[in-house]
Amino acid sequence: MMLLPTATTLTFQQDFYYSVAERTKFFASKCRSLSPSLNTKDSSPKGKFRFSACTSSRRSNKKNNTKWYIKQPTWRLWGEEKADGALYTVYLKKVRYHRPTRSLSSSHSDSDDEISHLEWETVRVRFVKAGTLKRLVEALATDDGELETTYINVFLATYRSFSSPKEVLRLLLQRYEELADPPENGKPDHHEQHRKTLISALHVWLDSYPEDFKESPHHPALIQLVNFCEKYLPATELEAKVRHRLDRYSREQPPKITDTLLIPPATLALRTAVPEWKCYRLPNVPVRHFAEQLTRMDVDLFKKLVPHQCLGAVWSRRDKSRSHEAATVLATVNQFNAVSFRVISSILVEPGHKALDRAFIIICWIDIAQELRVLKNFSSLKAIISGLQSNPIYRLQKTWAVVAKEKIELFDELARIFSEDNNQWAQRELLMREGTAKFADTVGENDKQLQKIFQRQNNHSANISFGTIPYLGTFLTDLTMIDTAIPDTISDGLINFDKRRKEFEVLAQIKLLQGAANAYNLIGDIVFDRWFDSILVLDDREAYQLSCQIEPSQNNHVSKVKKKSSGHQKNDSIASNSSSNSSQFYCDIDSMPSSPHNSIERKLSPSQMSNSSSSSSLPSLDVSLNSSHSGRDNKLQVPLNSSGTLSPSHSQKSSPDFYVIKVTFETNSVETEGIVLYKSIMLSNNERTPQVIRNAMYKLGLEGNPDNYTLAQVLPDKEMILPLNANVYYAVNTAYNLNFILRQKKPEEAESNGKAAKSKIKL
Amino acid sequence: MREYKIVVLGSGGVGKSALTVQFVQGIFVEKYDPTIEDSYRKQVEVEGQQCMLEILDTAGTEQFTAMRDLYMKNGQGFILVYSITAQSTFNDLQDLREQILRVKDTDDVPMVLVGNKCDLEDERVVGKDLGGNLARTFNCAFMETSAKAKTNVSEIFYDLVKQINKKSPEKKVKVKKPRLCTLL
Ligand SMILES: Nc1nc2c(ncn2[C@@H]2O[C@H](COP(=O)(O)OP(=O)(O)OP(=O)(O)O)[C@@H](O)[C@H]2O)c(=O)[nH]1
Ligand SMILES: [Mg+2]
Repeated sequence: MMLLPTATTLTFQQDFYYSVAERTKFFASKCRSLSPSLNTKDSSPKGKFRFSACTSSRRSNKKNNTKWYIKQPTWRLWGEEKADGALYTVYLKKVRYHRPTRSLSSSHSDSDDEISHLEWETVRVRFVKAGTLKRLVEALATDDGELETTYINVFLATYRSFSSPKEVLRLLLQRYEELADPPENGKPDHHEQHRKTLISALHVWLDSYPEDFKESPHHPALIQLVNFCEKYLPATELEAKVRHRLDRYSREQPPKITDTLLIPPATLALRTAVPEWKCYRLPNVPVRHFAEQLTRMDVDLFKKLVPHQCLGAVWSRRDKSRSHEAATVLATVNQFNAVSFRVISSILVEPGHKALDRAFIIICWIDIAQELRVLKNFSSLKAIISGLQSNPIYRLQKTWAVVAKEKIELFDELARIFSEDNNQWAQRELLMREGTAKFADTVGENDKQLQKIFQRQNNHSANISFGTIPYLGTFLTDLTMIDTAIPDTISDGLINFDKRRKEFEVLAQIKLLQGAANAYNLIGDIVFDRWFDSILVLDDREAYQLSCQIEPSQNNHVSKVKKKSSGHQKNDSIASNSSSNSSQFYCDIDSMPSSPHNSIERKLSPSQMSNSSSSSSLPSLDVSLNSSHSGRDNKLQVPLNSSGTLSPSHSQKSSPDFYVIKVTFETNSVETEGIVLYKSIMLSNNERTPQVIRNAMYKLGLEGNPDNYTLAQVLPDKEMILPLNANVYYAVNTAYNLNFILRQKKPEEAESNGKAAKSKIKL
Repeated sequence: MREYKIVVLGSGGVGKSALTVQFVQGIFVEKYDPTIEDSYRKQVEVEGQQCMLEILDTAGTEQFTAMRDLYMKNGQGFILVYSITAQSTFNDLQDLREQILRVKDTDDVPMVLVGNKCDLEDERVVGKDLGGNLARTFNCAFMETSAKAKTNVSEIFYDLVKQINKKSPEKKVKVKKPRLCTLL
């Protein structure tokens, strides 16, 4: 959800771009606040409303003097502009000026300003859309020579996918030297300003990405900077900083050959000091403590994570020889898998266990998962859920049968967080709400068990604050998809900087959460580490065999499930499948196939459809009011195929591309206030039952797993319940009104379904 | 209990659904999800009488406007909504009203003209006086509302109910319920 634009008008394009830019700016400003040194240049009121690499060609000095604040600029896309080596998107921005509230300015009255002031003006604003590397480096400063704080954040976070630190440094210094020569036609202070900005940029770079300058043993980049400073900037802050940095690095030990991050942390320490009598055995372990310890491991790794290693180009195109470039990502992935595997093997390894014994271990993991939810550790939480949903575990029907009902409910509620519906909406929404909040408190209306837990938490420990550990897989998928879907270069080889802005949005979220993760304060427990290491890890095949020994496969149901899951076998580790999940991602990318829930497409489709609606015939929308409409076909025949694109040969089609159906949600609760009688949705010709249910749920504002609902068409004498995986478009009875009822399944039905639904550990 | 069929009309994105949901369910819908056709029911007390309102929230977006004739025929009162932040949505209403009068074949149709999103004063492009003027030519009531700030939301529905009462005071309006309702 985080990535979906929230703009509200139908003018799709402008709003879309506007909101992307807005959000980039928002994240950039958040990021700045995480690294204080970046704040220096952003205090002017004007700076607040500048966008990335924008250069307003018309500036009013009045703006800087006035104390009125600027509110709600309105943007209009003007077009593109091509300049030597760069492509710009140009906007017209209407800026209004408002008076400050009385309370702010009452001490001194600007009577002049009160009588006459600038109401609004239109400013032309340019964003770099694409450019040569040289141009992109130049764009760090505006035409007026001021530092573009948003732009530099995006640039520094992403440039490694199209250049190298060395190259960028060279261009930066070269630019400075060019500007050192007096300008040809006057305005020396203009150049002066530009140079100052380049120095600021260097400061920002050195402070926020120190590793770019660290290259043992000689650190050539730093040496180059020292030489540069000697020549142009002797005895300045920059020189002092660079020399100090060089000094420090030179004294450091050369790094070990093996990157410590690649080795699971647990194997590093010596653990002989642990008293023999003290050890943990599932299920009799302190679950809160376990959750904290898992979180402690995750926090360490997450804080070390280098966001730009998550970039699609770095992470998903990696090969063995370059794996060190994504070392911090791999470390996180390994830990995730380690937790999942431990869940699976801990349940399976004891051959002597009875169903009830195993059930207790499952319950124990659910309890740990619940504590992880409270701790807002979505990484280990997802790892546990994935382990429990893995084929060898969920097929243990007899075991699950003796797990207490509330625990199953809790498990389902926790699993819902990671539902892939709607581009993982639930999880994104959670991150948005709780990412930097103090503690967890978001529950869906159907999450009974979680509600209780949070209530308890709030009563006991209102003042604890936690960070958040996200499930990195979501971000990696997004970044991989951006990388695959958007070209690196456009119009004759210019670097596509718009792509980098999109990537930055994701990176900025990661950075934001990393900052928040500092709020955790968890102390290590070597007894736990020893336990963690001691668990035997089974591979997929071993786990499955053990599982079959415990409960031999019998009925069709299980064998069907088995077959279904075998296709996912190799997905059982998140390291292997970042790109295989591409279909889940449909945000923000113009050319991607999209789902009906994608708000972009939702905005797009009306205009697309209206282009052709003149040729459409009358839809059968209100069936109860049917009497007056005659002489026309009663099916909506808008030439739109299921993917939302216009079909070229619509006029020849005999059946419509979609129907409009009315869905009523049936609840037991008696509403005294207002109620929804029905909502209409479109049903296109490839949609199967789960998808239609999902669409209906979305429209009706219901949360949860579509598997827990049934859909039935209301016919004169009976109801026709749609089979689990019917092609609804063909299954419906068009001889009658297209009225449907959506119902929640009874808990027992839903349970078995929910458990069987997911069998893979997904990235 | 008397039933009232109310139809909410207007261009896309003006806030028809937001107003309806605010009135029926008391929540403000932030996200924009274009409507195809939704129907709501709410019981209220107006002038000491219990009334059952059946509210039809219609599509503003072009391609679904073909259904308009149908619900205009069946509706008893109409809420015509524009957004004070978009001139075109205001201009569209003239045609809509004409269509209603044509379908109803009368000049006297209970109707409220509504300028929504009045919380967005900064973005206002349709002056309040313009709204008032149009209402005068329409010979109907006029209110500026905000679904977001809950300004005048229930007022528009109540006003419409009163108009319907005034127009057809005692006559029992027999409305056949759509079959789906009986299932609820
Ligand atoms: N600020 C503000 N926003 C509003 C108000 N009413 C609606 N909106 C917003 O405007 C957008 C469109 O509102 P909807 O109610 O969905 O519009 P609609 O008229 O039903 O549109 P269609 O269904 O396409 O006909 C939504 O994002 C709402 O949140 C309001 O009074 N104030
Ligand atoms: Mg609507």
